[in-house]
Amino acid sequence: MFRQFHLKDIILLAIIGIIFGVIYLVTGIIYNGLTIALTPFGYGPMANDITLGIWCMAGPLAGFMLRLPGASFLGEFLSAVVEMLLGDQWGVTTLLSGLVQGIGTELGFTFTLYKMYNWVTLLLSATATTIFTFAWDWFRNGYSHFPFSMLVVMLIVRWLSMLFFTGILVKLIINLLNRSHVLAR
Amino acid sequence: MNPSVKLLLLLLISLEISFTDNLTVNLILIVCLFIVLLFHHLTWRQFWCLMIIPLIPGIAVLITIGGYGSPHNWLTGWSMVSRFYVYVFAGGVMTFTTSPLLLARSLEQNFHLPSKFAYGTLAALNILPKIKQTVISIRIAGKMRGINLHWWSPRLYFKAILSAIRWSDQLAQAMKTHGFREGQPRTTAVKVSLYWTDWIILIISMVLLQFLLIALH
Amino acid sequence: MEKILIQNLTFAYKEGQPILDDVNLELPLHTSILLSGPIGCGKTTLLKLIAGLFPKYGGTCSGKIKLPHDQRIGMLFQDPAMQFTMDTPQHELEFTLENLQVPHNEISNQVKAALAFVNLQNVAHQKLTTLSGGQLQRVALAVIIAMKAEIILLDEPFASIDEPNRQFLLQKLAQLQSQKGITIIISDHNLRNYQNFIQFIVQFHEHQVKLLSSNASHQLLMNANQHSTNLSTNLPPQTDPSIIKLHNFSITRNQLSLIGVTNLKLIQNKVTLLTGPSGSGKSTLLKSIAKLTSYSGQITYDGNNIQKIFPGKYYSQVGLIFQETNQQFLNVTVGEELSLSIKNGGNTFFKGKSSQELLAMVGLPDLTERVIYSLSGGQRKLIQNLIMLMMGQKLLLMDEPFTGLDQPSLKKLLALIKKSRQQFPQALLIVSHQLDFLEGFVDYHLSLTDQQLTYQGGSQNES
Repeated sequence: MFRQFHLKDIILLAIIGIIFGVIYLVTGIIYNGLTIALTPFGYGPMANDITLGIWCMAGPLAGFMLRLPGASFLGEFLSAVVEMLLGDQWGVTTLLSGLVQGIGTELGFTFTLYKMYNWVTLLLSATATTIFTFAWDWFRNGYSHFPFSMLVVMLIVRWLSMLFFTGILVKLIINLLNRSHVLAR
Repeated sequence: MNPSVKLLLLLLISLEISFTDNLTVNLILIVCLFIVLLFHHLTWRQFWCLMIIPLIPGIAVLITIGGYGSPHNWLTGWSMVSRFYVYVFAGGVMTFTTSPLLLARSLEQNFHLPSKFAYGTLAALNILPKIKQTVISIRIAGKMRGINLHWWSPRLYFKAILSAIRWSDQLAQAMKTHGFREGQPRTTAVKVSLYWTDWIILIISMVLLQFLLIALH
Repeated sequence: MEKILIQNLTFAYKEGQPILDDVNLELPLHTSILLSGPIGCGKTTLLKLIAGLFPKYGGTCSGKIKLPHDQRIGMLFQDPAMQFTMDTPQHELEFTLENLQVPHNEISNQVKAALAFVNLQNVAHQKLTTLSGGQLQRVALAVIIAMKAEIILLDEPFASIDEPNRQFLLQKLAQLQSQKGITIIISDHNLRNYQNFIQFIVQFHEHQVKLLSSNASHQLLMNANQHSTNLSTNLPPQTDPSIIKLHNFSITRNQLSLIGVTNLKLIQNKVTLLTGPSGSGKSTLLKSIAKLTSYSGQITYDGNNIQKIFPGKYYSQVGLIFQETNQQFLNVTVGEELSLSIKNGGNTFFKGKSSQELLAMVGLPDLTERVIYSLSGGQRKLIQNLIMLMMGQKLLLMDEPFTGLDQPSLKKLLALIKKSRQQFPQALLIVSHQLDFLEGFVDYHLSLTDQQLTYQGGSQNES
């Protein structure tokens, strides 16, 4: 599956993973602030759902840039690898999250048979990632113990976050890249 | 211990406790991981780092499950908090005791990871300072033109990715001139050994974990 | 075969715009050859073609390059920091030797020998990111030594390194050549101080390439050393109002002092030129004032510590023209770049002008629909200068703003800046290697030599 990835592609995807981490760091730690603000209302863990979209942007972006089967997965997973190696706060579980997110983002491209690169692809990818990551958090972050009404809210919030970051924002970035003719195919 | 096997063990432990709610087992794991870290000269700074990171999300989950869950379940809440600490300590054991290079060499030599993945990722990691500097200078270039680039600004990502495309090209060319060829055999300057004892440690650790989980249920 | 043979070589990055057009060349082995020509003429392209990096990594190519088939090629790149895979010199050398399939038990000794050759044993385990440009180029040379390369290609290797390191590298290369008969090909747009080292010059002109005779090459190198520009400036009067003041200011990089303790002021609404040898810290000084890098002591703007001024406010007063042109741009097309400066710019001289009129002011045709990154280096440099002048900061820091400009463009740009300043006074601090036509344009002249930053008074000989 990964035979056709060249050294240059791998370096590029790893650098993009680092860029996301750096932008997140440089522009301020939103996550902790949000958590603190939401905790008194019992919605502290929802900070995770609000910001999760940011962490899942590398995948769809890679899928659109390289247009190869597996590119989205590799982009998302490599960004988890570099995040872990740079000392990410969640340690080795970052790898597991990267795996789950990678499969989620890749599915959007699989469903469109790697032939369609438009809004539908991004919508599918965002939705699949929402479902996959929510299932993973069901266990990892203890969502199974949360009240049902809260879960519904969190699922919707997460989906909106995915739509905004991995859908709209990724599409805007891709548009800029396409217009500058820098994506060689 | 072999870096790849160590990573596998930590992954398995993290995975398993993600599906169990056992405060006592989590606490035992934290103590064990802490002892391993002590043997590797854990500094105070690193220690406080590990203690503080899970605090905010930990408290958030505790309040949600304990204060708002139905029924109010403080014990589950605490086991969630302890789980976060296991994750972070397991991460600490990996990052504080194993350099990315050693892990890459081990994955290449012991588990036949294609070298392009191992060294492509390392090459990217080693320009981290340049990446940071570039993101900062893109934002300043924006301010000099009267615009603020935020983390939700497509232009910030676009400009950073333009640089990334150029860097990946430069690094790939540099690696080629330093003799690297995709898929070509390489020798090893530093041999990373994989002994059967590594596997024994892995198996015993996992068996012990199952035993604890059942015994302390 | 005792030469590198290049036949009917045509190469283009983009279809229909060849950068090298039907080049025929015979480069003799075991000699030192200098590729000479202005920036963007195809020197780097030719080196990368010889190294086999092109067309694999871009472009289309026809024609032939014949190399002696058993000779290994080593290459040193222009950007010292972007040629390594690993974190330390030791690991990079190990990586290279592993790639060449050197047996395990020989690697350690070869690494030691290579580091000893460039005198860097003491930094073997230091992070590459903490080394200076000069040290990095020495590490790169160590890699080439370890590879036992017989043809060494160096792409503008001295662009950002200091004179002692340049001398060290040239001396080591000469030593290699006399002992092992290796072939050395260097590209450099500057011909100074090569007379004792280079035997042949290859001249690039209008996509064509020509090998000069040994005599002609020597003559050209000797002439290059005598070329100098006279620049007469006076010391700034004590009473002149300042815009920037340095208080006990100093810069240290990689445990080395770049600029010693300095107290100095930059004068409001005047043009100050900053010169000094390459690698002396001129760019670093500009970056310090732009708050892009750390320093010791204090910098004040209009009496206020710049670290305490809000970024948004500070950068509306102080602008920087980046040395790397593309860093300045934020959009895709030329039109979008201009629109942004039209919208947010404060320089009244450019008010009310359309994009086409603005481009005409720097002598460019209507490029508004073009993708900015696809333009030539000179065109991008002109647009970069234009969009930053339009912003109208009180102080504009300019880091090599004239790179890659031909004479007519340069004259046009300087005239434009002059006119703009008559209507909208600005202070300019210019770092430039290129001093032609600056007589009468520059008010004051700062020189950075031996870590000392001082104003030059009276007529100065700058070579």
